[in-house]
Amino acid sequence: MKNLRKWLLCVIAAVSLTLTACQGDAAANASVAADVAHAAGNILGSLAEAADSSSSGNSSGQGSGTLSGASGTSLTTGEFSLSDIPEYTGSPYVAVNGNVPYFTEDDLTDVSFESYSDLDSLGRCGVAYASVCTDTMPTEKRGSIGEVKPTGWINVKYDFVDGKYLYNRCHLIGYQLTAENANEKNLITGTRYFNVQGMLPFENLTADYVKETGNHVLYRVTPIFEGDNLVASGVLMEAESVEDEGDGVLFCVFVYNVQPGVTIDYATGKSELAKDGSTAGNGKTSGTSTSGNNSSGASGSSGKSNTSISGTESGTYILNTKTMKFHRPDCDSVKSIKSENREEYTGEREKLINEGYEACKSCKP
Amino acid sequence: MILIVCVDDHNGMMFNHRRQSQDRVLRADVLELTAGKTLWMNAYSRKQFTESDTGEIQVDEMFLDAAGDGEFCFVENADISGCVDRVEEIYLYHWNRDYPADMYFPVDLSGWKCAETKEFAGSSHEKITRERYIR
Repeated sequence: MKNLRKWLLCVIAAVSLTLTACQGDAAANASVAADVAHAAGNILGSLAEAADSSSSGNSSGQGSGTLSGASGTSLTTGEFSLSDIPEYTGSPYVAVNGNVPYFTEDDLTDVSFESYSDLDSLGRCGVAYASVCTDTMPTEKRGSIGEVKPTGWINVKYDFVDGKYLYNRCHLIGYQLTAENANEKNLITGTRYFNVQGMLPFENLTADYVKETGNHVLYRVTPIFEGDNLVASGVLMEAESVEDEGDGVLFCVFVYNVQPGVTIDYATGKSELAKDGSTAGNGKTSGTSTSGNNSSGASGSSGKSNTSISGTESGTYILNTKTMKFHRPDCDSVKSIKSENREEYTGEREKLINEGYEACKSCKP
Repeated sequence: MILIVCVDDHNGMMFNHRRQSQDRVLRADVLELTAGKTLWMNAYSRKQFTESDTGEIQVDEMFLDAAGDGEFCFVENADISGCVDRVEEIYLYHWNRDYPADMYFPVDLSGWKCAETKEFAGSSHEKITRERYIR
């Protein structure tokens, strides 16, 4: 373990030097280097946890798999650089490193585990890492996650955002993969677009592969914060199926934490309508370069005609607890929901959305 | 030639040179649909058909060129765009899921008619929809 720590610190130092030596924006590189140190700090924490677990014979899943994974994580932070990510141009994600994860062969394990970094001094999440299999997947319906307030959680309604609210509490590792409910180490502030069009497709792909094959998928999500920003610019998502050595699942992508039509101040989480009415933030905006001065907090009115804080709609909805969609009771799709996944809910629409439910695009509840 | 293709909610077929999804119940449906007829595919697709009764599967990397009239082609990572004129029918299986994609189903179906729809539960998919398109 000591040797591993020493090696990891060398990697961090080397990475920091490399980043500051890179061409381009030195300030940006320096802040990314700080992120590397933050992420690596979390990894060291995980290493310590893993060591404690193994020495005490703890069987919570943090055994050799976690140790192996932790060293892999350091490679990720060492080789991934936000400055290499192109500006957001309309696709919610972009392939990184040729779509090949930064895992090493030793990282691949068919022993299920899951591990979440401790929050840093600013309260931000770090790397979330798991070997996903059927035994890590949920066996019961998802509970409420509304009590968690991730960093930068200044939520505002925009009429054009699906579900109205700009932000969702986004699981780093989706509930359908590791059944984590209100784990603050696994929830970040992310836009609706980022959550549904960015991260969810990769979670679906992984979950369905695991359910179909019973195989493991090594899965790691790293939130990327610039400097002291409270809202992540995006996440690095990596996955590789274990038993078939990536034949089934293999991806390495950066998902942009942006919302088309909204400019986000990543330093604080404040937001405002994009000035040109159509562009999103680029996910790489530093806290100081985005104004966001006129945005509102979650409890106040923005004063802008296109945003709205007021009006909590209530009603009776039919929930599909598997797809996490909600419908009007008379929606045609309701008939095809299996009884075990169907639930009637009467109450505030907003509460459902805060719990991660998405409005049916057909009946538009 | 009769195409059989699986797509997600955005007509995606593949991501990073890999199929978006697979389902043993869907494969069984394909084998039932094509029973007694020639079913063409390439080696990549053949690997997922591990069922014992694989019917009349013919494997060829150039299967879209090799397939004759009335013969089925199961297409995952092959480029269909060059042979659309020869396609008689299309069976489109919808996963009813959103997956990442970088290869999409290229056929504009606006000039086609959906002649038949069937829904069924897969082994790992809540609802799979099969549509049959004719000209």
